[in-house]
Amino acid sequence: MNMVSRSAVGRLRFSSDQRELALLYVACLVGALLISLLLIEFNGSSWSRAVNALVDGAFQSPGRWGETLRRTAPLLLVAVGSGVATKAGIVNIGQEGQLLVGAMGGAFILTLVQPGSPIMLVLGIALGAVAGALWAGLAGVLWYWRRIPIVLSTLLLVYLASQIAAFTLTRGALLLNVVPGEPNRLLQSAAVAAGSRLGIIEVFGNRFSLSVPIALVIALAFSWLLSRTTWGFRLKVLGLNSRTAQRAGVSHFRYGMSAILVSGAMAGTAGAMMLAGGESQYKFSSGFSSSVGWDGLLVSLVARNSPILAVPVAVVFAALRSGSMFLSVAGIEAVLVDVVRALLVVALFIPPAISELRRKRRAMARQTERV
Amino acid sequence: MVLEAGRIYGILGQNGAGKSTLMKILIGLVTPDSGEIYMDGQRVLVKSPQNAADLGIGMVHQHFSLVDALTVWENVVLGDRSNRLDAGSARTIVAEIGGRYGLEIDPDSCVGSLTAGQRQRVEIIKCLRRNPRVLIFDEPTSVLTMEESEQLFAVLRQVVRDEGGTVALVSHRLEEVLRATDNVVIMRDGRIVAEMPTSDSTLDDLARAMVGRDVRLHTSEAHHMRHGAGSDAVLRLSGVTVASRRGGTVLDGLSLTVHAGEIVGVAGTEGNGQRVLADVLSSLCKVTTGTVEVGGVAVETGRAGAMAASGIGVVPEDRHDSGCVLDMTVAENLMLTSLNRVSSHGALDRTAMRKSAERLISQFGVSCPSPDVPMWTLSGGNQQRVVLARELSVRPKVLVAAQPMRGLDVSAIEYMGDRLREAANAGVGVLLISSELDEILHLADRIVVIYKGAIVGEMRNEAVDMTRLGMLMGGAI
Repeated sequence: MNMVSRSAVGRLRFSSDQRELALLYVACLVGALLISLLLIEFNGSSWSRAVNALVDGAFQSPGRWGETLRRTAPLLLVAVGSGVATKAGIVNIGQEGQLLVGAMGGAFILTLVQPGSPIMLVLGIALGAVAGALWAGLAGVLWYWRRIPIVLSTLLLVYLASQIAAFTLTRGALLLNVVPGEPNRLLQSAAVAAGSRLGIIEVFGNRFSLSVPIALVIALAFSWLLSRTTWGFRLKVLGLNSRTAQRAGVSHFRYGMSAILVSGAMAGTAGAMMLAGGESQYKFSSGFSSSVGWDGLLVSLVARNSPILAVPVAVVFAALRSGSMFLSVAGIEAVLVDVVRALLVVALFIPPAISELRRKRRAMARQTERV
Repeated sequence: MVLEAGRIYGILGQNGAGKSTLMKILIGLVTPDSGEIYMDGQRVLVKSPQNAADLGIGMVHQHFSLVDALTVWENVVLGDRSNRLDAGSARTIVAEIGGRYGLEIDPDSCVGSLTAGQRQRVEIIKCLRRNPRVLIFDEPTSVLTMEESEQLFAVLRQVVRDEGGTVALVSHRLEEVLRATDNVVIMRDGRIVAEMPTSDSTLDDLARAMVGRDVRLHTSEAHHMRHGAGSDAVLRLSGVTVASRRGGTVLDGLSLTVHAGEIVGVAGTEGNGQRVLADVLSSLCKVTTGTVEVGGVAVETGRAGAMAASGIGVVPEDRHDSGCVLDMTVAENLMLTSLNRVSSHGALDRTAMRKSAERLISQFGVSCPSPDVPMWTLSGGNQQRVVLARELSVRPKVLVAAQPMRGLDVSAIEYMGDRLREAANAGVGVLLISSELDEILHLADRIVVIYKGAIVGEMRNEAVDMTRLGMLMGGAI
């Protein structure tokens, strides 16, 4: 049969596909940047000033790339976790809440136990991870027990999380730091005990906490776990074809739950490490998560659930965040950065979506062909 | 190839002969590298299915392109470009076309609740309402019962006679082509090797032209008594009942025994519980009552992987549904059920995986450029081989093959048959579930008949009584 020539053609087609995909990526990114620049010009500021301010704020000014790295760590952790869930075919979009709950859990040990110690630091982060995992696990239980869609429950649990966090900050018996003689109390916790803080790394005046190398190691570890272990393999099978998974012995409950718990734990760890790493002066408040969870989710989407790809993407997203602070100084509305970021996300979505559509169409064509 | 108005053409060929590709060129899904298409003497370019529709070329696909959640009329007008949705006229269209061709169907019923035959009616109505001049059918009968096929052919006849249209019927069922067409076009290796009026050809002619050699059409191989009856039961189902979600019963006290080294054929017309039976044996479905025993040990139903672990291999009816993962590589698909052989302490050994995959690929003659290509790049026949290779590689006690020959060509059918027999000779208990009686008569040692979710009769192949078999299948006994 003409099998050999057929497969050779298949391979050639594949590589030209990749070329096309790369071109599409470039075209979409250029398009997004052009639109962004136009928007900035329309707002009456010059785009060159905007770009300069962004780059200054993210990398060039003294101490700024440390700031960018500091913001990278939690984004990366959240992204790695949500990538794991998505691999298993589970759409967890409640990282924002899981992160907040994680920070809150961590706060119970980190800010309340005196004196601080490295053991308390580890325990605090572990409690944060467990809290995040349980918060996500709640959605998992609802799904496997009552078939309540995970997308909905994880999303709605975000709002519940912020209510609970706010509640813990209204009671001195919980997390609220009651300062005697001060009537206008800030609704925030005490600072993390001095001994329980994450170490700070300082390079040429750039300061960031140990959470950066830790997040990097975790990303590498998950990359290995997903591609080189039976657990990762089974998650993939479950995500791609759940009936084949069931037949081949991949329990939906066990593996699906493990993916949900891991994604929640990652978000929780991110929250606890933010707190231990010095975010908002080591104090927990109800707005503590400040959209890091949402952004981490976007990082994972753009990185297409790859823990390794998530590293550069997280850096870019963190740079946009830290750079945006300099925009307002340059007289440009910082909210433009959100628009730019959204444009980038959309631009990065188009190429894989197109190639996926093509692939589906080709697979369908093949289905009827059958040799 | 020339298609004249007012005739039905049978396009015959093995899988991979290029039938489907040729039809896809006509419908605009594939663009030819060279060559030209003329309609009424005018050269036409068919660049997209929309294009083809404008030219009056319509196609009814083998895999239906209907939306389950919508009603019949909604599906019929789905592809329309106009912005106005007129339920009334859409219903009229469905009723009118239905009435004209004997394709009656309730325009308001939900497509998801229809049988395969009824769905095909909807597809055909969808095509016919555009008054196509050329109507292409890709293996239309593969999902139909005998009766439904007959009805379909009557409709085709009517289209050709009344409208002066042309019908191209892609098939690899010889009898069907002989019965329903005016002309036969035979393809092999991407070429047309013969073209003749159907009335001048015989079954043997067609078979020979199709494969380019003589094939055993009905090899009634001596069914030598394998150590069937006397040996141990490897699979025993007792009183298995499965209630469907809608409240009815899909398996109703089904009992069945398979011994080591025999092939048991489950005969019956489709929709009598065969699919659920395979699902139960694939751990995809929990039984309400009854037990499944493998090698004398009861196996929990519906628990992930329990059936596979106890030694039941399955070649499922729809491999895309529960047989393989299209987006994973061939090697990964081959190792799905035997991960612990290529891993230690949970860590995968990719080299070992590749090696075992390569061994299976050569052993089962899978054509693929490398074990690392995604499964979806393989043709259907090769995907089927991958599934078979995987299921046999774990040395199962029982092999369940559900409609294993469906959609395969003559030589692939031969191959599949040989492998099943080989497995039985090696002591595996084979359960062959098929709605093709020929297949079962050809392969099985013992035949059981399934009707309305229960086994209603049993006979040995040597002593088969066709009349009784037919009556059992029809529920007359």
